[in-house]
Amino acid sequence: MKISDSLFNKSIVHDSGAKHVSGLAKYTDDISEPLNTLYGAIGWSKKAHAKLKKIDLKDVKKSEGVLSVITYLDIPGRNDVGPVFDGDPIFPKDKVEYYGQPLFAVAATSMELARKAVLKAKVVYQDLKPIVTIDEALKKNSLLFKPRIIKKGNPNQKIKKSKNKIKGNFTTGSQEHFYLEGQVAFVIPKEDENYTVYSSTQHPSETQQIIAKMLNQKSNSIDVLVRRIGGGFGGKETNFMTSAICALLSHKTKKPIKLRLDRDDDIIITGKRHDFYSDYEVGFDDDGRIDGLKLKLASRCGMSPDLSLAINERALLHIDNAYYLSDVEIKNYLCKTNTVSSTAFRGFGGNQGMMAIENIIDNISRYLKKDPSKIRERNFYGRKNRNITHYGMKINDNVINEIFEDLKTKSNYKKRYSEIKKFNQKNKFKKKGISITPVKFGISFTTIHLNQAGALVHVYTDGSIHMNHGGIEMGQGTHTKIAQLVANSFGLPYEKVQISSTNTSKVPNTSASAASSTTDLNGAATLNAVSKIKLNINNFIKKKYKIFSKTEPIYKDGNIYIGNRIFNFEQIIKEAYLNRISLSSSGFYSTPKINFNKKIFKGRPFYYFCYGAAVSEVTIDTFTGESVLDRVDILHDVGNAINPALERGQIEGGFVQGQGWLTMEEVVWDKLGKIKTFSPSTYKIPAINDIPKKFNVEIFKKGLNVEKVVNKAKTTGEPPLMLAMSVFFAIKDAIASTANYKKVPVINAPATPEKILLSIKKLKNIV
Amino acid sequence: MVSNTIQFIYNNQICSIENPDPNKTVLDYVRNDLKKNGTKEGCAEGGCGACTVVLGELKNSKLVYKSINSCISFLPSVNGKHLILVEDLMSKKNELHPIQEAMVKFHGSQCGFCTPGFIMSLFAMYKNFKKFDDEIIEETLSGNLCRCTGYRPIIDAAKSLNKKKDNDHFKKDQTKIINLLKKINNNEVEIFHKNKKYFSPKSLNNLKKIIKKNPHSYFLSGGTDLSLGVTKLRGEIKSIISLNSVKELKFVKKNKNYIEVGAGVSLYDFQNIIKSYYLDFYNILKRYGSVQIRNVGTVSGNIATASPIGDTLPLLLSLDAVIKIQTKNTLKIIPLDQFFISYRKTKLKKGDFVYSVKIPINKKNFFKAYKISKRFDDDISTVCASFNLLIKNNKIVKAKIAYGGMSEIPKRATSIEKILDNSIFSKELFLKAQNLIKDDFSPIDDMRASKNYRIEIAKNLLMKFFYEISKKKNIRINQ
Repeated sequence: MKISDSLFNKSIVHDSGAKHVSGLAKYTDDISEPLNTLYGAIGWSKKAHAKLKKIDLKDVKKSEGVLSVITYLDIPGRNDVGPVFDGDPIFPKDKVEYYGQPLFAVAATSMELARKAVLKAKVVYQDLKPIVTIDEALKKNSLLFKPRIIKKGNPNQKIKKSKNKIKGNFTTGSQEHFYLEGQVAFVIPKEDENYTVYSSTQHPSETQQIIAKMLNQKSNSIDVLVRRIGGGFGGKETNFMTSAICALLSHKTKKPIKLRLDRDDDIIITGKRHDFYSDYEVGFDDDGRIDGLKLKLASRCGMSPDLSLAINERALLHIDNAYYLSDVEIKNYLCKTNTVSSTAFRGFGGNQGMMAIENIIDNISRYLKKDPSKIRERNFYGRKNRNITHYGMKINDNVINEIFEDLKTKSNYKKRYSEIKKFNQKNKFKKKGISITPVKFGISFTTIHLNQAGALVHVYTDGSIHMNHGGIEMGQGTHTKIAQLVANSFGLPYEKVQISSTNTSKVPNTSASAASSTTDLNGAATLNAVSKIKLNINNFIKKKYKIFSKTEPIYKDGNIYIGNRIFNFEQIIKEAYLNRISLSSSGFYSTPKINFNKKIFKGRPFYYFCYGAAVSEVTIDTFTGESVLDRVDILHDVGNAINPALERGQIEGGFVQGQGWLTMEEVVWDKLGKIKTFSPSTYKIPAINDIPKKFNVEIFKKGLNVEKVVNKAKTTGEPPLMLAMSVFFAIKDAIASTANYKKVPVINAPATPEKILLSIKKLKNIV
Repeated sequence: MVSNTIQFIYNNQICSIENPDPNKTVLDYVRNDLKKNGTKEGCAEGGCGACTVVLGELKNSKLVYKSINSCISFLPSVNGKHLILVEDLMSKKNELHPIQEAMVKFHGSQCGFCTPGFIMSLFAMYKNFKKFDDEIIEETLSGNLCRCTGYRPIIDAAKSLNKKKDNDHFKKDQTKIINLLKKINNNEVEIFHKNKKYFSPKSLNNLKKIIKKNPHSYFLSGGTDLSLGVTKLRGEIKSIISLNSVKELKFVKKNKNYIEVGAGVSLYDFQNIIKSYYLDFYNILKRYGSVQIRNVGTVSGNIATASPIGDTLPLLLSLDAVIKIQTKNTLKIIPLDQFFISYRKTKLKKGDFVYSVKIPINKKNFFKAYKISKRFDDDISTVCASFNLLIKNNKIVKAKIAYGGMSEIPKRATSIEKILDNSIFSKELFLKAQNLIKDDFSPIDDMRASKNYRIEIAKNLLMKFFYEISKKKNIRINQ
């Protein structure tokens, strides 16, 4: 008898791979529409901050094909899509707070006519002075919440006593998600004022609740379905504007409505990554070990809270990255600005906090004229001591020292480091730089109650499996991985498991597919459902066939091994059905061990940490400031991966997205708060030639999750983005070479050609 | 013969559409009329490649395949062509095409939304080339954006195609397709749709007649700029005259002294012609939009659009190109540096069009061009600089220098040219010349860069040019 290998650790291709490549994978805009479907478009504010004196929609209503126009007056219930706090009106009553804020919407007989119609509105504004930058907001004390201070030890005293101290400031820029599929929703009215909502969202449950509240209905009257989305990256976690307006149009017209934002509207109307500004003072010894650190951390949150509190919290929780901070104080400012509300984006503040500390470490090394990698190592968390974070969590899964050491060897870092110095001595116009940076990223929603998931699994009488859970497939392959888990647990071929749309009426009260937790949480919930069904089957077999074995039955190769008997899965399912045994179950999971007191900033907010490191080598052009990424070596811990190929996809994709954030992607607002970069012609994400010329990605073979996560795997959603920090610091290294490594370069992210050239120029002038 | 019906091949059959809306895009037609929704809209401006489809057409009785951005191509542009969509690649037995198979096997798709566009770009590559090296793959895909994968698996998938023999169903149906194309390729198209008109004459004579009757028309060449009036500004272009089918405009003349390129020659074809004369011209053209854009866009279109950041313009200016303008009565010849008047204003009068551009060949000259942008490929210039120098016995006989992105029009750096002319080629001279940038240009701050940066790199590029010549080698980080 041949027993097949386990499905774990198998690089099965993405469940939709064949459909993606043949154009058969359906996204929301591809769903066939009933004949009476109308099309929506949103009219938005052309001012960043103004009182609304008059919105004249006469010409909009008269426009060809228009059947309905809605404003705030048409909202029966809550006029807000804010997920945690109010502040994001669907249509504001009397004041606009950002350029692009929706004011009204239309339904017309075609998408084209709807979009033409909204341009005909005549809006009279009374200008108010907009606050656009972090700097302006801090000066005017325009904050969403009171500043928050977190403190451990006595940094003031430590810095005072320190042998060396430096001060400085640093900013990281915003970033547009640029998911290839823009925001889109399709709402179909049903009986009893019920609605079926198809939406490109990472968060169907909240979409359901937001629409229900807006319509003043109960959640049970709204069903939200999502088969897949064309990229999310956080940009579809709380952007409920599109689906809410779409549902409101459907409510008003009693007709199916499709509302798809075009690319410009998508970028203009919906939120992006927070820019962060940090101001620091650090004391350290002659070996570069940090004695004390004081930081001011401010972020551009836009016009409303949205998720800014959680995002800033994650920045505070990652200000250590992989470094032990004995004495630290951070003051955190959430700046309210007249820009679109900044929102979730892969890394969720963690990356911004990590860039702040990495820049400090880099500056310490340059101040001491030492190899930055040495200073990094010197500050790493220890295994047995120096292992308590600034929020009081003991780290018991630390592998950063090992990964760092391994990668240095594998990438030949030391030799290249000195070769690059030699190269730079010989070359004036081209300069090279190299950097190795670590990643430690905490996994779990820091809002504890979100760490739960549900699933629903059916076994049909022919032995085929239907799988459903609360996770959203956005490219990461969560359905593929969970289907592998299910197939493996039932001992069936992968093909027997049918993946289905995420659906609020199958699995309720789900959390967003976010925080890198989708597969961890939903995989565990799905396995919980599977185990309940298996228990029913086991009990049935034992009772019927009078088997008294206490050993756990084995499901393998389409068979069930129980005691010394073997049963064919399909046959036993038929038998179980005829004997009235339940073959369907819901499943549930909640992450154990975690707790976090947000008030005192203490506890264990993370179930586990992900670790990785990257070495980047760049060349810059000292005439123009252009840079090119010559080589990247990555070593990343994915634990015991369910599907190594999909994890590698996340690592590479995350890296390149991070590279874009730190090098070429620049969101620009003018002084009046008008966004100037709202299409691919003005906003540049990495293209095929931007990726490293040599790209070596390795999975840390010794990786194993010390916690009981499914398969002992570690997630790869967000952490790899931060491997790209090495690109930025390699660029900084190349800049430093123009002054023979004698001065500390000043450069903010993103390191565009302009910023690089400016930094070189400034360096010449620093004495 | 004049017809109000466009005809094209789809699914091995002739499709005819009578008086289609000439402002309807190919993408709109494919998704909403054909109800094929594998092709996606990512940006509606030809900047992301999600909407890529392939057009097969006859060139010297042979089939060539061109990837295009369907989101900014008007429907009549498929007239006489073979339209190929992502859904059409699978065999009749529903087996994946080798390209599709490779993309699945190498995990080339994650969210999958950009994937159909990648597949179609790769399909055109697969059909047009025999070997796929890094350079061809990267050029093929530089106009396809993916936000998930980081491209590595897609490159691997493309490379793996080197081992596959091309015997797909398009190969098998080749004769059939060629015959069908020959059947439909003869009509001149005149479309009247509600208040809109579209003309696609086949001869210069007919073109002139149409212009005379419809003087208020827009000329369509690649349409990569014109179409944005519809897809972005939501306007209507009521009368369009396409230059694409005019046989007399599809010419390239070459001799010892010059190359002349007709208005009907695509940028993609042009880049391969200019390569052997001016390598840097080729290098810049390879970064001009994407293959999809260069397959339809033309040099003449770039000239007539007169954008301050049109990438061919500073190069043509410094090469002393002249253009021929077809007016009502004559073919007027003017030097390109007299053509641009102010922001997007030129010497073209109503009904005039750029007939051709004539580029002098000076093999003794030093010609170099540089484009600085936030992203290397498929980006708009922050500054584009072009230098053309004739040096004899270490003396500069003639300097021709032009910049894009530095002014409201692409412009020669006359003050710098003046100081260089008849001077000894030296570092001191160039250092002095650098400072005259401000005399010739006063650039602006915008989302691409600041005024100061533009001035700074305009100066530095002059120095870079100097060092590249004096050291006899290029100092480039990307080539």
